[in-house]
Amino acid sequence: MIRTPLRPLARILQARQMGENPDAIERENLRLRHEEMRDQSRTRAESRLLVLGVMFFCAYATVGARMGLLASTEPQEPRAAASGAAIIAQRADITDRAGRILATNMATHALYAQPQIMIDKDRVARELAQIFPDLNEEKLLAQFSGKRKFLWIRKKISPEQQQLVHEIGDPGLLFGPREMRLYPNGKLAAHVLGGASFGREGVNSAEVIGTAGVEKAFDAYLRDPGNGGQPLRLSLDLTIQAAVERVLYGGMKLMNAKGATAVLMDIHTGELISMASLPDFDPNDRPAPLTRGDQSDSPLFNRAVQGVYELGSTFKIFAVAQALEERLVNPSTMIETKGPLTWGKYRIRDFHDYGKELSVTDIIVKSSNIGTARMAMQIGGPRQKVFLGRLGLLEPTSVEMVEAPTGRPILPKNWSEISTMTISYGHGLSSSPLHLAAAYASVLNGGTRVEPSLLAGGKPQTGERVISARTSAELRSMLRQVVSRGTASFGEVEGYAVGGKTGTADKPKPRGGYYNDKVIATFASAFPMNDPKYVLVVTLDEPVETSGAKPRRTAGWTAVPVAAEIIRRTAPLLGLRPEIEPRDPVGVTLASSN
Amino acid sequence: MSYLEYNVKTVPTGWRKILYLNWPLILLLSAVACVGFMMLFSVAGGSLGPWASPQMKRFAMGMAGMFIVAMVPIWFWRNTAALAYGLSLLLLVAVEFFGAVGMGAQRWIDLGFMRLQPSELTKITLVMVLAAYYDLLDIKKVSRPLFVLIPVGLILLPTFLVLRQPDLGTALLLLIGGAVVMFVAGVHWLYFAAVGAMGGGLVTAVFFSRGTDWQLLKDYQYRRIDTFLDPATDPLGAGYHITQSKIALGSGGWAGRGFMQGTQSRLNFLPEKHTDFIFTTLAEEFGFVGAFSLLVLYALIILFCIVSAINNRDRFSSLLIFGIATTFFLFFALNMSMVMGLAPVVGVPLPLVSYGGSAMLVLLAAFGLVQSAHVHRPRGR
Repeated sequence: MIRTPLRPLARILQARQMGENPDAIERENLRLRHEEMRDQSRTRAESRLLVLGVMFFCAYATVGARMGLLASTEPQEPRAAASGAAIIAQRADITDRAGRILATNMATHALYAQPQIMIDKDRVARELAQIFPDLNEEKLLAQFSGKRKFLWIRKKISPEQQQLVHEIGDPGLLFGPREMRLYPNGKLAAHVLGGASFGREGVNSAEVIGTAGVEKAFDAYLRDPGNGGQPLRLSLDLTIQAAVERVLYGGMKLMNAKGATAVLMDIHTGELISMASLPDFDPNDRPAPLTRGDQSDSPLFNRAVQGVYELGSTFKIFAVAQALEERLVNPSTMIETKGPLTWGKYRIRDFHDYGKELSVTDIIVKSSNIGTARMAMQIGGPRQKVFLGRLGLLEPTSVEMVEAPTGRPILPKNWSEISTMTISYGHGLSSSPLHLAAAYASVLNGGTRVEPSLLAGGKPQTGERVISARTSAELRSMLRQVVSRGTASFGEVEGYAVGGKTGTADKPKPRGGYYNDKVIATFASAFPMNDPKYVLVVTLDEPVETSGAKPRRTAGWTAVPVAAEIIRRTAPLLGLRPEIEPRDPVGVTLASSN
Repeated sequence: MSYLEYNVKTVPTGWRKILYLNWPLILLLSAVACVGFMMLFSVAGGSLGPWASPQMKRFAMGMAGMFIVAMVPIWFWRNTAALAYGLSLLLLVAVEFFGAVGMGAQRWIDLGFMRLQPSELTKITLVMVLAAYYDLLDIKKVSRPLFVLIPVGLILLPTFLVLRQPDLGTALLLLIGGAVVMFVAGVHWLYFAAVGAMGGGLVTAVFFSRGTDWQLLKDYQYRRIDTFLDPATDPLGAGYHITQSKIALGSGGWAGRGFMQGTQSRLNFLPEKHTDFIFTTLAEEFGFVGAFSLLVLYALIILFCIVSAINNRDRFSSLLIFGIATTFFLFFALNMSMVMGLAPVVGVPLPLVSYGGSAMLVLLAAFGLVQSAHVHRPRGR
């Protein structure tokens, strides 16, 4: 581009000669240049405008065409919101591992009133009070005559009630479709499922939100339409859950216990096949939480997950496991059991006097506190704490329930030497039955850490190695002997080689100290012991067995027979075949049988 | 190019300005607003309350505001553009701050007689500041990278703040509106092509990677996108509004069911019937003819703005009018596409028709700027 100079010398000289102001020439040239530039930019801007104009037109054309298209479609009758079929798909179902329904949805209706368009308020109030006996006629009439334009009468009504309300025939009574959560099996697996209630409510729909259990833990998943109505498949087995609950209920009554819980878990995958807690409730009609007293007495309380108890001698196996693993002892090492063992002002006693000394195996079989405490002393507090931590006994479980974090184990404030000793036989450290089941699975499945899970389709977990396979095999042999010749002799179930450890712990008083007539009786077991597939933990709260001359409370008399009955009923359902146990060849060490 | 270079003497002064207003535009705006009153009257079941009469009051107030803005010379607005932009940013930040205190419910500032949403204000101040920027900038420098980065920053700053609220619709309006002003100002088209290609490439990559080993998003994220793009898959959740409004449009047919005869909207099938989804009422009651007429009214408004912009030799005025026209266009284009299921539901009101004070007042003030630019345009030599 050739630029004209702003002050062309020739013209300026000429202007000077003419006596004109030469600056006028500069101003004139500047103006011309600006206009030239502006014209350039204008032409560009105009072409840009054209492009945009075309875009605008395209957008217009699209909108117009769409409008025409929609206008020419057959008017679809607005599908009545009452049909409900489509609404049902909103919250995903929950099923057991075999796909059987545990929680589903049902179409129902809410009843509301618009008093302004009501014809005969007196009659409506009277007849409504007849249909719903808990409604008060005067109160209703007062509400209808007030300034309210809108009021809810019932959140859920049955089809029969709806028909009766229809028959009143008043235009001021209206129905809003509702999706209601339904638990067709009633109380079955109530604690696992939890419950659901309405969240935000509108006339045409209401939000269903989980209030507890997996319903709350998986609330976002269950509501996510992106999952396409895919049900949530739990690891529970409906049939086995029913059997466990049935037997547990009978056992609780027979043993005069005020509560009971059972956890049945796959030893390799950590899947919970059954989890029961008694007393229970119906999630279709979830009771209100207790307003006073101990929440742990509420039927809503899930003893398996939330209940943290001192689980007594069941913990001894962990001390023995660690002592074996650290090569401090072997199963036949003799340990001094002469009682009582005095440590400062504390005295540790055994239930019976077991004489001067017992082998490690016999300490487990006969359940000696003194022997276990001596082993714990050799191990020492810090190492014990690390080992129990690796078994998951110091943290809440990771099970997929909202209640899981509340099941936090209670540890001693100061992990002193006396704590080390008492913890080795299950006092001074409280944990939930679910913790115990997971820890037993971890030490008995060959020695790798297992975490409990409520979701189906779990693969065998390859967790951290806790103990060696050899130690695990030694523990299995000891636990088998507890049943075949020890404290849990009622636990024998022909063909299923049950092994396990009993635990009877005195219940602590709320103000410190222990009751001497209230216990928590636990039996932690696994079966079949030659190659364990399942872990079962049964805990009874305050059981008393009264068939004998003196009331008996120890787990061997209470929890063990209940657990045995559960195994007897569920082992065939689990697909286990009864087997004749190979007799232990005498004189061959266990290491070679491994 | 500054106003000092024009001969300002030819610009009308005093009350004579009123004669030089763009009267056809005012008429068109009033016509659209009347359509709005009618629809609000109908949605309320044939009554002035609760929506039609406050809307009328606000429209009268907005019109008065428009005249006041129009009387002020356009160069005053250009000189205060940066200030206005800064102020609206400040308000956005303030709302962000106070909104957090108010449990996130507060996205407006109470002025006593109305609630002002700063995000509404920002739409206009952003256009103003961009127009002023390009007015100030030497035309030769427009496409230099550094001078492109400045307006990009000016656009992205409020967009980001609005997106945090979160208000996807307004963010989209700001982004596209700003980009259009830059485009008209003459920024080299390669910049736009590059940004477009990058965006397109990203979207293609995301979709093509689906189901392959290098999948960019998680499966559930894809499902979310599916529901977002095709609400029909979730007819009771995200797609509820769309399904219902499509039914309404379909039931309107060509000639409509007649005034106050709409069922879909009056029977409470549509929760947002008086705001974002008011267009469905119009389409149901007046059919294709009525809806298309509204579209024509909008098109005429845009047309008058464009003509005014082209005939205005002042760069600021021209860019400003164009930016405002674009914002207006985006408003109703987004709203209509949303209602007709062409675009996802992002929550943009139908300008001048939907019930709502903030949007209407700000929009009328913006048209006040258009009028001011029209009245004070440079004439002659």
